[in-house]
Amino acid sequence: MRKIAIALMRAYQIATSNLAPRCKYYPSCSNYAITAVGRYGAKGLAMAAWRIVRCNPWSTGGVDYVDENLDSADIKNLLSVDEKEAVGTN
Amino acid sequence: MSTILNPLYNIVSGVIVFIHKLLAPIFGANSGVTWSLSIMGLVVLIRIILIPLFVKQIKSQRALTALQPHMKEIQKKYKDDRQKQSEEMMKLYKEHKTNPLASCFPVLAQAPIFFALFTVLNGIAHNKPHGFLKGEYLVSAAQAKFFGAPISETFLGSDKITVKIVTVLLIAFMSGTTFTTQRQLMVKGMPKMDSSNNMMLQQQKIMLYLFPLIFAISGVNFPVGVLIYWSTTNLWTWGQQFYVIKRNPTPGSPAYEELQKKRAHKAKTEGKGVEGIDQDVATEPEVLGQRQQPKKKKKKK
Repeated sequence: MRKIAIALMRAYQIATSNLAPRCKYYPSCSNYAITAVGRYGAKGLAMAAWRIVRCNPWSTGGVDYVDENLDSADIKNLLSVDEKEAVGTN
Repeated sequence: MSTILNPLYNIVSGVIVFIHKLLAPIFGANSGVTWSLSIMGLVVLIRIILIPLFVKQIKSQRALTALQPHMKEIQKKYKDDRQKQSEEMMKLYKEHKTNPLASCFPVLAQAPIFFALFTVLNGIAHNKPHGFLKGEYLVSAAQAKFFGAPISETFLGSDKITVKIVTVLLIAFMSGTTFTTQRQLMVKGMPKMDSSNNMMLQQQKIMLYLFPLIFAISGVNFPVGVLIYWSTTNLWTWGQQFYVIKRNPTPGSPAYEELQKKRAHKAKTEGKGVEGIDQDVATEPEVLGQRQQPKKKKKKK
């Protein structure tokens, strides 16, 4: 079920990837939805729906991750640095 | 479900019937022209309601020029980290309470209306009344034709050759308008970008084939009336963008340079200084899909 939902959203992304301006948020609504559904299933779908509602002309958008402590660039950079160090010591 | 959709059916059918009532004395109550124009009128009404959102969007895109140096800085600082770069950009927009990116809201807002129209028009084909489209209106609409094709019939559901021809033409028109709108934006409407030109060309090519395909797949199931709605909306989008690109282009885009050159030239011939290009940004009402109006200039005496 999750896989079908994610495949559908990927198809949507490919179909719309060349339609100029995208989402007000980072990550975009569709990327958010893919992460959320992959991680939380049905609850993720609700989260994604809520995100789309928030993404309206009266919002200013911004950075909004499914899980700040898992997805943000700083965290990822931190992790990749650790990995590099681990590789380096071996 | 029907409790949510019933008001929508009422609105959509109400607007169509209302415009039909206005136009009936001119074109005749049973005329296909009246019914087609009623559907187009619905589009125009919706798009007029959406204009303020569009204007807001344009304004926040313009506000971006002021942020240009900050953006360059961010791009330089995080040039190896796309994610961090995007994050910082978003933070910058939020800080300045502006966002150049459109939310999908205007498109999503139209989806239920589109769906309601689909149901209402299908109702005509199956003699099922929805909202205000009932009784004599239902009978009248059922026989209304758009270039010889009944507005309630679909490509797949009809054996008539005229229906096939008209639907195919409408689908071709939808694909064409979408493509030109997109192309116009890419070629003229966006600030020049280096190195990404190849990718853009690539995307345009994909789009050239993808959109007719999407429209063809979905369009064969849609009644002619829905295709009229869709085509009109596409045409409106194109006109709206054409107007903005010509009259009020994004700073840094080829269209902007063109306009500046034109104005400089005009100013020279009239012996007048170059006017600030942003002067008439906010004051001009967005009359869209209209012919390009000649610019009125005050002459110095």
